[in-house]
Amino acid sequence: MARKKEPIQEIAAMTEPLTIEESHINNLRANLEEIKTYDGVIGYIVRNSTSAAIDLKDPTKLIDYAVLSSSALDASEALSEDFNLGDVKSIIVTGKNVKVLSLTVSDNRISVFMDKEANYEKVLRKLHGA
Amino acid sequence: MDNEVYSFALKNTLNEIQNICPDIKNSFMFKEDGEIIAQDENTPEKVVVHVIDSFDGILEKADAIGGIEGVTLDSSKGRVTISCMNDIYLVTVTSKKADMNYVNTVTHVLIPTILRLLDKINSTPLKNKTPSLKIETETPVTEELEEQTETPVEKDSTEEPEETLETETLPSELPVNQLIIENLGGLLTRARAPSDTVRIDSEMLSQWKEFSGSTRIDQVEVETFNGKTTRCKVKPIKDSKYEGKGIIRMPEKIQLNLEVRKGELVRVKPLVY
Repeated sequence: MARKKEPIQEIAAMTEPLTIEESHINNLRANLEEIKTYDGVIGYIVRNSTSAAIDLKDPTKLIDYAVLSSSALDASEALSEDFNLGDVKSIIVTGKNVKVLSLTVSDNRISVFMDKEANYEKVLRKLHGA
Repeated sequence: MDNEVYSFALKNTLNEIQNICPDIKNSFMFKEDGEIIAQDENTPEKVVVHVIDSFDGILEKADAIGGIEGVTLDSSKGRVTISCMNDIYLVTVTSKKADMNYVNTVTHVLIPTILRLLDKINSTPLKNKTPSLKIETETPVTEELEEQTETPVEKDSTEEPEETLETETLPSELPVNQLIIENLGGLLTRARAPSDTVRIDSEMLSQWKEFSGSTRIDQVEVETFNGKTTRCKVKPIKDSKYEGKGIIRMPEKIQLNLEVRKGELVRVKPLVY
């Protein structure tokens, strides 16, 4: 039942002229950079069909966090389908040390990692405002 | 109290919780190894299995965040909450309009209380039962075992036969115990569990060693009441929850070979070479 690890892609270079979509991605990236400064936030992973960006304070956990992030988002879709709950807004996985907030915004799969006691609602508001 | 009774009690608890919290649409409980402990009446087993399967992906990488304490999924039509309580995962699905403070208060108070109560009820008679093995003996050797028991044998004569660890003496003077089958290997570990090994109480293994004078008991013979027998490897039970309950944890493969299943009684005796 082990899930296949999805490859982590490098950040695609933005060489094309800005489109509305790219503008949105840039806006999201800017929001994530700001979120990273929030109390207790320890990093984020954002992926879409063409690119990925990872910023973690502890890079040794990069693979584990990336797989956990992917598993959480996959599980959220499966659970929502199982119980007919409609569109997934977010999934929060709380560990004994760290909390992970994962959500999808305009095809961007985002996970923000933070200390267990950090304010995830503030992060969520910022991301939905992206 | 066997696992079926335990499960029945928890199932009733989940149903009652739904009665007092109608906003809880589904609820069930499972262990980390994927074994379903209890589910409410509304949730099909197929869905439960699928949810556990989905959750397994998160569990596999949970070490990275220090293990899972809980998962909350927020969707447009409702919410799924998975809470870890005493190494058991409780899943509740609630409607969008549910008062989560109320739901959490009810579930986080009631379920742990019921679990503690069941454990207490479960362990009390069993602790008394373990040393008082009922021994039917015709040889002087078994008299020694009888002397080792802390309580008089007659005290257990009124107990249900299924919960009595009964030891007989074979011509070979080796004890035969009647044990209740419990599944070995949950949903997720089934593939990894050795299919040729059963697990029984370590205390029973010690008694066998003492009784036979052997230093190791590696194999046992399991006999069903239909006369089918098999020999398999044996190891002590690891999970303390199963200790002292007259249980033999048996992989599915052996159960299939013997045409028995969880909850049935089998006779088990050590093989000493």
